[in-house]
Amino acid sequence: MPELVSNSVNLNVKEEKVVGPWKVAWRSFKKSKAALVGTAIVVFFILLAIFGPLIAPEGINEQKLSDPSLRLAPPSSDYWLGTDDFGRDIFSRVVYGARISLAVGFLSVILSVVAGSFLGVIAGFYGRFIDTIISRIFDIMLAFPSILLAIAIVSILGPSLQNALIAIAIINIPNFGRLIRSKVLSVKEEEYIVAAKAIGMRDSRILWRHILPNSFSPVIVQGTLAIATAIIEAAALSFLGLGAEAPQPEWGKMLADARVHLMTAPWTMFFPGLAIMLTVLGFNLMGDGLRDALDPKMKN
Amino acid sequence: MKKSKLWSFGLIMLLALSVLLAACSAEEGTTEEPAETSEETNDGTTTEETEEAVPQILVFGRGGDSVSLDPAIVTDGESFKVTENIFETLLNFGEQDTTINPGLAHDWEVSEDGLEYTFHLQEGVKFHDGTDFNAEAVVKNVERWKGGAEEQFYYFNSMFKAEGKDIIASVEATDDLTVVFTLSRPQAPFLKNIAMSPFAIASPTAFEAAGESFGDNPVGTGPFTFVEWKRNDSITVAKNEEYWQEGLPKLDTIIFRAIPDNSARLNALMTGEIDLADGVNPSDAQTVESNADLQLIERPSMNIGYLGLTNTRPPFDNKLVRQAVNYAIDKQAIVDAFFQGRAEVAVNPMPSSISGYNEEIAGYEYNPEKAKELLAEAGYDGGEIELWAMPVPRPYMPDGQKVAEAIQKNLSDVGIPSKIVQFEWATYLEKAKNGEADAFLLGWTGDNGDADNFIYTLLDKDTIGSNNYAHYSNDEVHELLIAAQSETDEEVRSDLYKQAQEIIHEDAPWVPLAHSIPLLAGKKGVTGYLPHPTGSESLVNVSIE
Repeated sequence: MPELVSNSVNLNVKEEKVVGPWKVAWRSFKKSKAALVGTAIVVFFILLAIFGPLIAPEGINEQKLSDPSLRLAPPSSDYWLGTDDFGRDIFSRVVYGARISLAVGFLSVILSVVAGSFLGVIAGFYGRFIDTIISRIFDIMLAFPSILLAIAIVSILGPSLQNALIAIAIINIPNFGRLIRSKVLSVKEEEYIVAAKAIGMRDSRILWRHILPNSFSPVIVQGTLAIATAIIEAAALSFLGLGAEAPQPEWGKMLADARVHLMTAPWTMFFPGLAIMLTVLGFNLMGDGLRDALDPKMKN
Repeated sequence: MKKSKLWSFGLIMLLALSVLLAACSAEEGTTEEPAETSEETNDGTTTEETEEAVPQILVFGRGGDSVSLDPAIVTDGESFKVTENIFETLLNFGEQDTTINPGLAHDWEVSEDGLEYTFHLQEGVKFHDGTDFNAEAVVKNVERWKGGAEEQFYYFNSMFKAEGKDIIASVEATDDLTVVFTLSRPQAPFLKNIAMSPFAIASPTAFEAAGESFGDNPVGTGPFTFVEWKRNDSITVAKNEEYWQEGLPKLDTIIFRAIPDNSARLNALMTGEIDLADGVNPSDAQTVESNADLQLIERPSMNIGYLGLTNTRPPFDNKLVRQAVNYAIDKQAIVDAFFQGRAEVAVNPMPSSISGYNEEIAGYEYNPEKAKELLAEAGYDGGEIELWAMPVPRPYMPDGQKVAEAIQKNLSDVGIPSKIVQFEWATYLEKAKNGEADAFLLGWTGDNGDADNFIYTLLDKDTIGSNNYAHYSNDEVHELLIAAQSETDEEVRSDLYKQAQEIIHEDAPWVPLAHSIPLLAGKKGVTGYLPHPTGSESLVNVSIE
């Protein structure tokens, strides 16, 4: 009994004195200006998405066809970013577009992280033929250019934003799967896992309570970067007419619709393009910062 | 050793020659490959240098490749654009209208009862393969069309067959240059029909020998002879030196190039890759007009762009819903916005320039309130409909996507939710033809300027499964249209069409949207190009300055 008590006291003391890994990471993250700028951009767009209806002066599809002066109007005090060829306020559409792009980015990455982690953990932990099968499937998927695979999947499912999201999630699964698998391979040799096995812990408990949490940090980095790619891929699919449907204000679709007005009304293309660029830049900067912060090898 | 020296000497000579030739060809502005042997090329360069006149080569950029170059079997405009230059018809349309003019027949007579047509043929005309053009050749062509199956000779069957019976009962060559057509019943637009591009006279020797592959190696009497066809890229035709009309054609070579994207095609024109560009976006009209090196060319309008409402599918099997949709759509705004005003708002299923057009019909005005009332009266359940938008720009509708988006908004304003659907073009037509669409955008460019070619072709119950995509069927309209087909008195005939339009207006199988003015652009130096309202024309009078 006394032993136990002293043990717990020791633990408490440790927690007070030692700086936790998350705190270390945050300190190193803070040092990078670029990472902070990236985070600021991401937060800005997230706020834009959440408070969209309060910020946007108009809805997404308020066409003003009968008034020629409101069609393709340049930016002005009434229409901050100008209007498109339907007379719709581009500012409002860009604001609402943030909801779509961020939702697609986050959801598709969450889906692929969940599926990828599941497959990766199983492959890494059980090894042998299960590993072979899963890894070869990943290899096959990675052999295709990702956007081509996404196009193929959307063509099978039928073009819609939801299917674009699914397609993007699917093409990203192998990235996460491989990442987790390699991490699991090293973690499962750690002493505490061996110990857990030795005391007869069930596989499922070892897997989900011990191996997975300890293999997860690279996934956070990869996930942040993957959101950026997912947003671009969603925009690309919509640009090709395989994603968002009219009148959804998806940024890629806005670009495609505005393409014919590139010379005459450049603002119709400029602002959706800028929005895509900034969000992706934000996620990339943030992701890079996170990687530097979380990767033990990068520490001096 | 000796051998290798010879080799290197030869190689040096070749190098020197190629430098020389490259210099020459740059001066000439041609991209001809230098020939292999030295003596020949030397001769070649000297003659080229003495030649003063620059060969007249016109590159015509268009939206798609031809399907086949046998005019009798094709139905697409891109094929006729080429065959019009290789083949000729017995009669021609006017330069920019659909009046009847002499073609391969210089004179013609019609019997009192309208059943016998006698054509007197042009003398001394030869096909490109040397075969004589005469009455016998005409007879062989007509017999070829008559003997073919419907899917093979689509146009012949749709124009000259009714309920499975031939309208052309017989064709006879009474002498070498006279041919007599006997009809089984009078057909008012017979002369206009015979002037259509599909009824061009082909060389009997050639099509008998070639069989199915005649479309790859067309032989006609036209101003240009076929040279080569690179699929999905270009078709080249060259001047017919033996052409029967003195001094024509003016061009030496025409290259028809397929560039699917409208903007890309206009860019190609601006960079000088092509000389004429078909299908210019209305939004680019200003760009062309403000460019001093280019000219904007308008094709006279003879088309209709419409929103078809499949009459056999709910909710459009209800006349009130169809009328409501007609009230719901702001046609003027659509024309202003997506045709850049280069179109007329449509009221009837054919343009007003065609005789028989009913001017007393007012057209449904834009009235969302009225539309809502009608929908309530019809008991419409608010179910979502599919709104099909064509995936490619068409002459009658430059941007189907945008028009669909505007219509989608109009419909949602009156409480009809819709989803815009897109298919690849061939699939789109096939599915719409089978009546699988709820509402679909489509259009039609007239073939011969006759009311029959619009109303009967597009809205008669006989044409369900071919061009009656809306599956509209009304027996009263059918009787009027059939009566009009065999009526030869112009006044009575017009009156029949006017009555039919009234019923159609009431039944509202479509929302007629616009009669557009298709735009083309050309280099300033291109003269003599007169686009024809039917969408295809011979380039016999075109020259480049």
